[in-house]
Parts: sequence; C-alpha cells; structure tokens
Amino acid sequence: MKLISLLDHLAATPPAGGAAPRRALLQQLGRAAVAALPLGLGAALPAAAETKDTSLDAVSQLLLLERLVSAFYTRALAVNGLIPAAQAPDFQRILRHQNQHVALLTQALQDGGAILPPMPAFDFSGQRNVAANPVLFPNVLSVYDDFLALAQQLEDLSVRLYKGQVFNIAYDAKLYKAALRIHAVEAEHSAHVRGLRRSRGATVKNWPSSTDAAIARPAGAQALATAATGGEENLLHERLAGATVPFPTILNVFRLTFVSDESIAEAFDEPISSAAAQAALSLFF
Amino acid sequence: MSDNLQPRGSDDATFAQPLYTPIKRRSFFMYAGATAGASALVLAGCSKDSPDPVKPNLPNGNSTTADGSISLGSGDVGVLNYAYALEQLEADFYAKVAAGSVLSGAELAYFQQVAKHEAIHRDFFKAAITRDAPGQTLRGLTPKYPTGTFDTRTSILATAKAFEDLGVSAYNGAGKLIKNAAYLVIAGQIVSVEARHAAYIRDLIAPGTFAEDGNAATSVNAQGLDLVMTPTAVLATAQAFITEKLDGSSIGVNA
Repeated sequence: MKLISLLDHLAATPPAGGAAPRRALLQQLGRAAVAALPLGLGAALPAAAETKDTSLDAVSQLLLLERLVSAFYTRALAVNGLIPAAQAPDFQRILRHQNQHVALLTQALQDGGAILPPMPAFDFSGQRNVAANPVLFPNVLSVYDDFLALAQQLEDLSVRLYKGQVFNIAYDAKLYKAALRIHAVEAEHSAHVRGLRRSRGATVKNWPSSTDAAIARPAGAQALATAATGGEENLLHERLAGATVPFPTILNVFRLTFVSDESIAEAFDEPISSAAAQAALSLFF
Repeated sequence: MSDNLQPRGSDDATFAQPLYTPIKRRSFFMYAGATAGASALVLAGCSKDSPDPVKPNLPNGNSTTADGSISLGSGDVGVLNYAYALEQLEADFYAKVAAGSVLSGAELAYFQQVAKHEAIHRDFFKAAITRDAPGQTLRGLTPKYPTGTFDTRTSILATAKAFEDLGVSAYNGAGKLIKNAAYLVIAGQIVSVEARHAAYIRDLIAPGTFAEDGNAATSVNAQGLDLVMTPTAVLATAQAFITEKLDGSSIGVNA
C-alpha cells in the first residue's frame, strides 16, 4: 500500500465524535495504519505477530520494556563487585543504548501528543513490591551468573517484542525505521550476554537454540521464559495463504543432509505477541 | 469572494492597517481548515484508485539490462532477490570457511553452524521467490574473493565481520521498501540472527566490541540505532565479491 493511500484513508477517517483528544488521535493513527497494511495481517503473519495493538499501545509497551531493562542495568552497575571490571564497559554500553532507546520512544510519545505513562516501581526479585510474595528471581542483583541469566532473557524478550510490535508503528516511517534498527541492537546485546554466559560454563549459544540449557526458575516465572524463548523451535516460515516454504523437500541443504531441524530453528528468530510480553514484563512491577 | 466586488476605494483602508495585525484564533483555524481541505484534494488526486498516468517499465527479476547487468527486479521481488544475492554470498563464504582448516575447535564449530544458517537463508529465499514470482528468481551467483581471504584467521574474521555488518545494514535499510507484511516478518526473523552473528564475530575479533558505538559510520549511532545502508550502497560494496554485475536500481519500486 502506498503511503499516499494510507494518508488518504486517514483523511477519510471521521473524527471520533466532537473534539477528539490528541491521545485518541494517536490511537486512530495506529488503527488506520494497521488496517491499511496489505494482505490482511491475520492471514499472513505467524500467530505471535498477530497483535491488534494501536500504535500508542505499541510504543507505550516498548517504552515500558526499555525502562525496565534500563533500570535493571542501572541497578546492577551500582552494585559493587557484581559485574567484573573487565565486563563493566560492556554493560555500560548496553545501558547507554537502552537509555537512548528510552529517550527516542519518550520523544515519539510526546511528539504524538500522548501522556507519558508513569514510571513503574521496578522490582527485580519478582515479588512485585510485596514482601509476602515469593521471590522468583533470586540473586539477580548480587550473583553475576544470576544477573547474566536474567539479562539474557530480557534481551531475548526485547528482540522478540520489537519484532512483533514493529508492524503496529508502521504509520510513522521515521519511528518504524528506528524500531527496525533498535531491534538489531537488542539482538547484538543478547548475543553478547549469551557469549558471556557460555564463557562461564553455561550451555548456551549466541542465538536461541534447542541445545541451550533451560534457565531454572520457579513456576511463577514461566511467563518470562515463554516470552524470551518460547516457540523458538518453530520450523514453519513464511506462511502465505496457508502455505509454508517446505524445507524438507525444497532446500538444497536439506538434501545434503547436514542441516538439522535445530539449525533451521536457529536460523530464524521468532516474534512475540504483546500479551505474552506483557505477562513477562508484569513480573517486575 | 464578494470582497473582490467591493469598490476599489476600500483597498486603501485595508492598506492602512498594520501588516502585523495578529490573526485571531478563530481566523487561524479557518486558514488551517482551508489548508487541510486543499491537502485532501491533493491526496485525492494521488490516490491509488486513480489511473496511473505513466506506467514505468519495470524490469523482471533475473532479466538482463541494456548494459548486460542482471536485474534484481522491482517491488518486493527486487527486495527478495537483493536479500537472496547477499545470502548467496554469505553462504558461499561460510561454506568455504567451514570446509577449510584455518579455524579449529569451538571456533570452527561455530562457523559451521553459521554456515548452515546462511545456507538455510539462501535456500529459503530461493524457494520463496520461486513460489511467489516464478521465473524471476535470481540465478546462482559466482562469488569471488581477494587473494588470501581464506588463508588466515585474521582475514577470515575481518571478511566475516564485513559481511555480517553489511547484511544487518542491508536488512535495516530494506525494511521500508517491503510492501508485503509476510516478507517483512521474515526479514525481521532473519536480520536479528545476522545481528547475533555480527556480535559473535566482533567479540571474536576483540572481546567487548559487539554493538560498538561512538562512530555512527561503522557502528551503533548516538540514538542507539544500528547500522543502515541503502541497496545502492550495499550493492556497491557487495559487487567487489560477485563476478556477475548486478543492477538493483528498481528494488522496492512499484508500478
């Protein structure tokens, strides 16, 4: 769909009864943009990418994610002796990027006339600020390996959430392009953290793999694992009109027999629905 | 309009008023409304529903251009062939590294895994284009490398870094050119894997150089955004590694 047609649709969209608040306008933009995407998203996208969020929902959720990850690294870097001196610059850089992403998304919301969501009181224990609740993420701000494990899950979650939400902000070409580029940065963060964990003895690759050792968590924390790597074993790609690209019969590499299902799953990262992401994010405030 | 019919004398009175008379809010909104109306007319004129006055003659994928180049095609097919060309190059490079004896141990094992990812991406695009745009699938390309590319670990890592950074830049730049949402999903699913490769290889070259920032031309910029390049710039770089001359001038261009 040409941009001009999209604008056409927007021009034709009647105001929602009287003086629409600017927040409502942003929501309208989001709805119109999604509706204007070609092909009917429902038919073409993997289930996980089928979000029906408005652009305001999408940007707000991405801001929540970036604020959460930023707060996590800020607190970790403030704990004396948690992150080894040799790796401190790595996490200072990652934090710098997260703060830049927070600034960019904040600006996007402000430019759109939306009210900034209040900053949640983040609690990385998983107790959600209630002392009586069980601890879901023990020692993540006191033991380096536990810190790294949570960092990996949050970075993987970031990659997958941007991958899913980017379609909901397609109305804004500038923000859309920025989101694509942030998405790649998050993947680089994840690959690095995964490499750090491997160097300390964890069984984990730089990309999500079926051979990665699961990160042990209480049942109450399952939403995070689901959001970070659930469904990465998917082997079906590019569904179009119900047809997938049939790897086992078409791929040359497959016939050469050195490519396994494991490699096919690794070669494609998966998107995540906003609901699955929200369930994980909600564990932290 | 009736103003125009008024006796000429009234103009003098208008001129006598100061030029900077503040526009009342009500008047401002009238002007704003008029502008919006005019914009709507302009938009209506450009709507896709109106017949295109000129149909550009867009090349098919894998067709030969006037100067003997191979066209990647137009629209989404062009974007897919563009990705297919880059994946062909990456897959060939990693296959050669994986089959060689310069790397060893865990490092070689990792390069063999990356080789599989890239081969899968390559064959994925071939299958997808063959399915969706029969007859427009880019032919198999003949990669070429500077002498000594596969001779040393240093050279292999430097080439791998260049290819992965180029791949990430290319996908980041191509996203806006893709019209079909399903292709966009796939591009997103692949680019993050390429970014993971890029971070891994950068960390091999010098630990902690993943997602480097500080120099927007070669790394993450001051807004925390990753590399991005246009197809023209990417192909100019990639062409040095491809024997056939490629023409990507119609990538993402739609009739």
